[in-house]
Amino acid sequence: MEFAMNVILSSVRMATPLIFLALAELYSQRAGLVHIGLEGLAAIGSLSGFLVSLITGSPLLGVAAGAAVGILVNMIYAYATINLCAEQIVYGMAINIFAPALAAFIYRVYFGAGSELVQVGLMNSLASMLGVTPTSFIGKLFLEQTPMVYLAYALVIFTAIYFNKTKSGLNYKAVGEYPKAAATLGINVVGVKYVACVICGALAGMGGAYLTTCYTTTYTDGNVAGRGFIALAAVIFGRWSAGGVLLACLFFGFCDALQIRLQVSSYGVPYQFFQMIPYIATVVVLAVIGMKKAGPKGVGKPYLREER
Amino acid sequence: MKKLFALLLTLAMVLSLAACGGGKTEAPAASGDKPAATETEKPADSGKTYKVAMICDSSISDGGWGMACYNAMIAAAEKYGWETAYSDSIDQSAYYDNIVSYCDLGYDLIYAPGNQYTDAVLQAAEEYPDIAFALLNGAESTPAKAVNSNVTSLLPNATQIGWIAGALAGLMTETNTIAFIGGMELDTTKGKYEGYKEAAAYVGAQEGKDVKTLDIVYSNSFSASDKGIEFAKAMMDQGADVFFGDASAVDSGARQAIDEANAASGSVKVYDIAQPSDSLGQNECIICSQVTDNSGLVGLSMEAVENGTFGGETIYGTLQNGVLSAGAISDLVPSEIAEKYQGYLDQMTNDTFMK
Repeated sequence: MEFAMNVILSSVRMATPLIFLALAELYSQRAGLVHIGLEGLAAIGSLSGFLVSLITGSPLLGVAAGAAVGILVNMIYAYATINLCAEQIVYGMAINIFAPALAAFIYRVYFGAGSELVQVGLMNSLASMLGVTPTSFIGKLFLEQTPMVYLAYALVIFTAIYFNKTKSGLNYKAVGEYPKAAATLGINVVGVKYVACVICGALAGMGGAYLTTCYTTTYTDGNVAGRGFIALAAVIFGRWSAGGVLLACLFFGFCDALQIRLQVSSYGVPYQFFQMIPYIATVVVLAVIGMKKAGPKGVGKPYLREER
Repeated sequence: MKKLFALLLTLAMVLSLAACGGGKTEAPAASGDKPAATETEKPADSGKTYKVAMICDSSISDGGWGMACYNAMIAAAEKYGWETAYSDSIDQSAYYDNIVSYCDLGYDLIYAPGNQYTDAVLQAAEEYPDIAFALLNGAESTPAKAVNSNVTSLLPNATQIGWIAGALAGLMTETNTIAFIGGMELDTTKGKYEGYKEAAAYVGAQEGKDVKTLDIVYSNSFSASDKGIEFAKAMMDQGADVFFGDASAVDSGARQAIDEANAASGSVKVYDIAQPSDSLGQNECIICSQVTDNSGLVGLSMEAVENGTFGGETIYGTLQNGVLSAGAISDLVPSEIAEKYQGYLDQMTNDTFMK
């Protein structure tokens, strides 16, 4: 029982950055922009969050900086794909190569090569803000989390309501489905796509900043560790819905947490067996839910206003 | 206008990539710092500035392996007056490409700090017979596989590294459960784990304790510090109270989790032993470090290159020749335990440990 509780607590920790990144992708794809550059945006967000948190002593400002830098870098993608109608995959990949390299470069310039390990203070959990020490599982699950975790879940609820229950959300989705039809209804397609890029950049940057302001006290190159691509999979896995994306992220987080706990608590079983769990689980779940296309119809296609 | 802007964007990205490739060339130390020719026994062409390049899959700022290996190269280069360059955080698929890039640039010595670079080094060594390749933690058999005899393995004794940490773990554990976190499944990592396990069990038995080492775990990464946090939490839940590792930044994550657990309990009851540089003070939980003087090993390679005697051998690093040692001990270690530990270290040096 204790094992299961610890796995759940680990899953929540490990799923949170994925939720931010997957929501970033969801907002992007719902406006017709497939963005494979989340890994890069998160990397630069992670460094920005770390540096600002270190300089100001405020992890909250670190998260804000991560979001701001994420937006800034994503504007390259936005201009290239929306105005220049460039290939979205290529520019996403360019962000993936460019942004982590830029982050590594800035870190070296700031701290010097081979410097001592720099550590920052992390954001306090709600429990420590309230001055309580939860001992029960429920207490730990609901109180021993940083504000960023609550924000992630609040954003999922907001996104679900926005896309399904508001006129603005339906207009937003229309841009991703059939932009020309949306334009005939008076929707500013280019404007919506730019808003999508701002939201995507902000959320991806925050996802990266979460790693260095709420999770680990250090920054290392490559600390995003493939989460950008897992988030991309989580959106497909979650059938492009906020609830589905949340479940997918929790599922990926759970599988990773489970393999870590099983590695530790087992004797004599090859570790590769446990490391296979997330991948096997993914294959099984994909087989169960099927491959029916459920994404926005206009995703990945450039919007040429004058084209018939 | 749009095309021009697109071109400018592309140019900016390309230039950024060129600037941010993770590689850097550094000038040699000031000439005043260079040792006299007689000290380094340089041959006739001592006017030449030799160049060494390091490739590394982890970051040189990781506070662990990457940082220690980079600092070792810098220290040795300063001593011998060499010029240095490095490429870090590189993927496995880019090992070979990075190595041959430096070969093409005319570097005299390629320094690859890890067993995982063996295949790439051997391939490049075959194609560049005039360039020397030093493989830190390379296998004993690797130099013989190089057809041009231009590869040297620098091999700190993994078992002794494990002993140095294991003996202290065996003395300090109160729960009689200790843990080890590995990065990749490398022979050297397994050697360290086995040494750690057997030394802790032996020393524990001398103290009347039955010390158990949890099974080795692998993060499959040297940069995922979050995995270190999760592994450490899981291992502490299993009762582990002394940690050692061979996983670079992952170890930093583990120390963070240990510090948090100690802070929550109100006292430092869970400890970590760092490696390969003296990291006492980096985290509260660090009670000692296993120190490997890689700079000595790299320096020997540089000397051999300058003398034209490089290649085809394995240079060992042991307690006996001073490459391996234990770092400073924390105040958390009671003085009587520190004394006993020193006794075990002496036994290891005298080759009487566990005999």
